[in-house]
Amino acid sequence: MKNTGLRVALALASLLFLGTAAAGGIVAEKSTLSFVGKQLGAPVEGRFKRFDADIVFNPANLAQSHARITIDLDSIDLASDESESEIKGKSWFNVSAFPKAVFESTAFRALGGDRYEVSGRLSIKGVTRTLSVPLQFRTVAGVRTAEGSVELHRSDFKVGEGVWADPDSVAEAVQVRFKMTLKP
Amino acid sequence: MNQEKYGTTAITLHWLVALLIVIAFSVGHYMADLDLSPWKLKVFAWHKWVGVTIFGLVCFRIFWRATHAAPPLPRGMGELMKKLSGLAHFAIYLLMLAIPLTGWLHSSAAGVTVVYFNVLTLPDLVGKDKALSHLFKEIHESLNWALLGLVILHVAAALKHQFVDRDNLLNRMRW
Repeated sequence: MKNTGLRVALALASLLFLGTAAAGGIVAEKSTLSFVGKQLGAPVEGRFKRFDADIVFNPANLAQSHARITIDLDSIDLASDESESEIKGKSWFNVSAFPKAVFESTAFRALGGDRYEVSGRLSIKGVTRTLSVPLQFRTVAGVRTAEGSVELHRSDFKVGEGVWADPDSVAEAVQVRFKMTLKP
Repeated sequence: MNQEKYGTTAITLHWLVALLIVIAFSVGHYMADLDLSPWKLKVFAWHKWVGVTIFGLVCFRIFWRATHAAPPLPRGMGELMKKLSGLAHFAIYLLMLAIPLTGWLHSSAAGVTVVYFNVLTLPDLVGKDKALSHLFKEIHESLNWALLGLVILHVAAALKHQFVDRDNLLNRMRW
């Protein structure tokens, strides 16, 4: 009797736990993470096909809001096998040693209207740096999306070393764009 | 003897485009097998700039050819040969447009925007798509081999006229 009660309680608790975990996830097929760099002055686009995010965002309670985004660097799409194998190599992301890039939020700030700023720590290739990312949070027909972009400097994260360090060849600045569709 | 010539503009365009095609073809052939490096990116950019230049010049050539009659063909040429010659020239013009275009399409599909001489950003013709990029690369290369074949035919025919028929055909394209 007591055992059954415990089991029910456990089942309820795990359901509740799963419920909250799902609430923090994203709809993968409706979320994008892309970037634009420049090689010899010419824009080059790419994207990451696999990333996961745990986002709990409440405009009325920014202090309790948080976001953790994990990017599978091996899923990079540059529309060229040659470029992809190069960028996964030691000089660039060194994917075999550092398979994931992680962004972990530390604070959210309202900028007015549907605009917010999230501060946090971004780790790529063993280097962690703090940054602030402006974003737009919208709810359209019950679907919540967070969208924004931020400029990163690849040398800050030792991405593109050795012969690739020259910014005339591949520019320092990389514009990263994201659209996260939160699970209902 | 045929002493009628093309105009100076047509002659200049012919040789300039011919020279640029030799450069673009050689550079393209060389760069295809390079390992990815900053040098390769540079060579690719130069190749694209030459290709865009050819495309522009060929568009102008077609306009010029349409508004300026070509000198008559040698009298000794039969009707069939005249038709074949017209057909070969038409095919060369078509390839001179199609080759830069497929190169541009390949670059767009590879997610790399073409910026002419690092100044003029050309529009992306298609979205980023690896399969499409690969397809355009194959077409771009195949069309180049077709052009090489036609250019060999073109040169061989000109030399045959000059040295076998002795009709002084080359004079038409001499400054």
